[in-house]
Amino acid sequence: MGRKLLLDKAHVENIRSYDVYRREGGYRSVEKALKTMSPDAITEEVKKSGLRGRGGAGFPTGMKWSFLAKPEGVPRYLVVNADESEPGTFKDRYLMEFIPHLLIEGMIVSSFALGSKVSYIYIRGEYAWIVDILEQAIQEAKNNGFLGKNIQGSGFDCEIYVHRGAGAYICGEETALIESLEGKRGNPRIKPPFPAVKGVWDCPTVVNNVETIAAVVPIINDGGEEYAKIGIGKSTGTKLISSCGNINKPGVYEIDMTISVEEFIYSDEYCGGIANGKKLKACIPGGSSVPILPANLLLKTAKGEKRMMTYEGLADGGFATGSMMGSGGFIVLDEDQCVVKHTYTLARFYRHESCGQCSPCREGTGWMEKILLNIDKGKGKMSDIDLLWDIQRKIEGNTICPLGDAAAWPVAAAIRHFRDEFEWHVLNPDESQRRNYGLAHYADALTVPA
Amino acid sequence: MAEEKKPLFKVTIDNITIEVEPGTSILMAARRIGGDVTPPAMCFYSKLEGSGGKCRTCLVEVSKGSEKDPRPMPKLVASCRTTVMDGMEVKNITSDKVLDARAGVVEFLLINHPLDCPICDQAGECHLQDLSYEHGKEGTRYEFRRRTFEKEDIGPYIQLHMTRCILCYRCTYVADQLTNSRVHGILDRGDHAEISTYISKAIENDFSGNMIDVCPVGALTDKTFRFKNRVWFTKPVDAHRDCPTCCGKVTLWNRGDEVLRVTSRKDQFGEVQSFDGKPGWICNTCRFDKKKMSDWVIEGPTKIARHSVISANHYVGATRPQETIAEVMGGRDPKLLMDIHAISDVNDPKVDLSEVKGAPTSATYEKTKKLS
Repeated sequence: MGRKLLLDKAHVENIRSYDVYRREGGYRSVEKALKTMSPDAITEEVKKSGLRGRGGAGFPTGMKWSFLAKPEGVPRYLVVNADESEPGTFKDRYLMEFIPHLLIEGMIVSSFALGSKVSYIYIRGEYAWIVDILEQAIQEAKNNGFLGKNIQGSGFDCEIYVHRGAGAYICGEETALIESLEGKRGNPRIKPPFPAVKGVWDCPTVVNNVETIAAVVPIINDGGEEYAKIGIGKSTGTKLISSCGNINKPGVYEIDMTISVEEFIYSDEYCGGIANGKKLKACIPGGSSVPILPANLLLKTAKGEKRMMTYEGLADGGFATGSMMGSGGFIVLDEDQCVVKHTYTLARFYRHESCGQCSPCREGTGWMEKILLNIDKGKGKMSDIDLLWDIQRKIEGNTICPLGDAAAWPVAAAIRHFRDEFEWHVLNPDESQRRNYGLAHYADALTVPA
Repeated sequence: MAEEKKPLFKVTIDNITIEVEPGTSILMAARRIGGDVTPPAMCFYSKLEGSGGKCRTCLVEVSKGSEKDPRPMPKLVASCRTTVMDGMEVKNITSDKVLDARAGVVEFLLINHPLDCPICDQAGECHLQDLSYEHGKEGTRYEFRRRTFEKEDIGPYIQLHMTRCILCYRCTYVADQLTNSRVHGILDRGDHAEISTYISKAIENDFSGNMIDVCPVGALTDKTFRFKNRVWFTKPVDAHRDCPTCCGKVTLWNRGDEVLRVTSRKDQFGEVQSFDGKPGWICNTCRFDKKKMSDWVIEGPTKIARHSVISANHYVGATRPQETIAEVMGGRDPKLLMDIHAISDVNDPKVDLSEVKGAPTSATYEKTKKLS
């Protein structure tokens, strides 16, 4: 059994209510932080823990906090990014729905550390029912003196507001989120300036993922060093993974980052193996925007070592033979799935969600979608595959925000690893409409260079 | 209080070093150098706050961040929104990466842009035409239907043809920054995003016409000028009038004595010129209602500094051809030199073609001959 820090109490009956949460040891970190620690000491503790952003990029949280500009007389803000809209990622939803007080608790501590007197939860518009859950939790915390004026007699004031998004994936990008929070169109801003200097209403702002903020609670309770003991290397602590696709037990799992990908997929504690006795073909290990990997590269790295479920482990080999931890959306494809169709589905998503501000992403995502649809429908040409490669190359890195990269990477990885499947679609237009390419050699053992 | 002079930053663009004030963007520094070093800009407009960063045509490579932190920047950066640092080294046309990315951006901009230049009023002074000519590739790899929109009238004088729009956002900044009522913005997102008013309202303010001037393509056109003439056949004349609302300094685009269109005066980058440090935006009265020569005080022919089709036929920087007869005849004088006009009626130099109504015919010349 791996250690659980976040979802440990998630299934205690009525844990959503303040009384049960408090009885189970909730809000201890607030008392400890506000009464015995200084804001800088909390930041220091988070730095020690080695906690990395759980939203996708994996940037060290303590470092992010210490970058926050602190000019005199200017308010600072903490914004929790709950705009979880990536296909395949649903870990924050689980956390907020089942144990909302954990997020509120983490927010109070983090707000204290950052000096934010007004903090926001920017929540995905589709999570309408969770808004009610969170607002009730906030109200309960307020009634019990953990929010509002002079929290627990410490002299620290803090309010938390829940802000509903309007259903745009792009608002998960931190500057687009800030724009949207301010009531404007959710277009990403051009950086610099970064939110740490100019964020919400041009004030210094920290934007963190739900899980990151929730992880602050065990860090304060047990100390940063204790947290850092879990995991391998720079991947410390536990991570929520939302697994879906052709597996026996889809769902949200909390893993301590010491297990291998193979164990995660096949052990009964986690995904429980591939459904219906099929074979593993491919997997997207970190949410739809990270590169897809064929089975052989997923379970073993290019060096022939076991691939681990850590930031470094999943990224081993760079994009040539590796992928990314991303936001922890683990999408598993079995032998019956078509990578071309799958890539088309993702391309359609990114085309629909592009904000349309900068030209490579606006035009490129639509173009890629159309070409992929053609290939999928058996109307593709051989040159289309090279054209796709060229388009994604010209989008990647040339856009304002990472959505361009997120749209380009899945296409690039699919062509990189599954080119023969694309070619098969082009060469066998009729057959490709009747059956899938199948497992092919994607699960073959790797030839490891000596 | 004596203003302390800030030390200038040294920035090297394509191996040309220039000193600029701190806070200058790479693009503005490159414009100071001028020539090929200047990256093209479709969305950036130095007179509009917040513009830029969107079209990505001005991407450049920063090969050295600054004197203090010499690391190169990992990605290409939008030069219009990146400020210079002391000792920064920038590669524009000397970087293959930049040229490749720029060609890609041009291709992206063109895939959904209609090829209706022959009937587009902007043709000849279109930034996208220049851009694709200079940085694009011939032919397209796009094989799908282009996106189209219905034409829309925003106000009595302006037509929005969204199909041609490249979503540079310049016009929305004009509507935002020149006037205080905001009715104009972007609807939808992604490749189906469109510029519009909410909902299909007219933009009614004195300065709305400036949107036409800032539009880099033919998406916003002057309805008083639509389909009247090709811009390169019109004769630009600088003129001014005493206008109570704006600076009144304009360019008239004439055919003969007929004023076909009035625009603000533009500089070599296609931007509105500044007068006394203020951008010379003009009001709708000057632009749409004053279409008689008698309304204006003429200053003289406009020298078009921009490198585009409209600068053709205007003899900018023209030099007199060398006397060739002596040269081809080995230094001898010709024995007999005849003037073509002595024997031919056609092209009589006494006839001022600009004063002829309609196209000149042989009748035009016969008449003048009889008179003389």
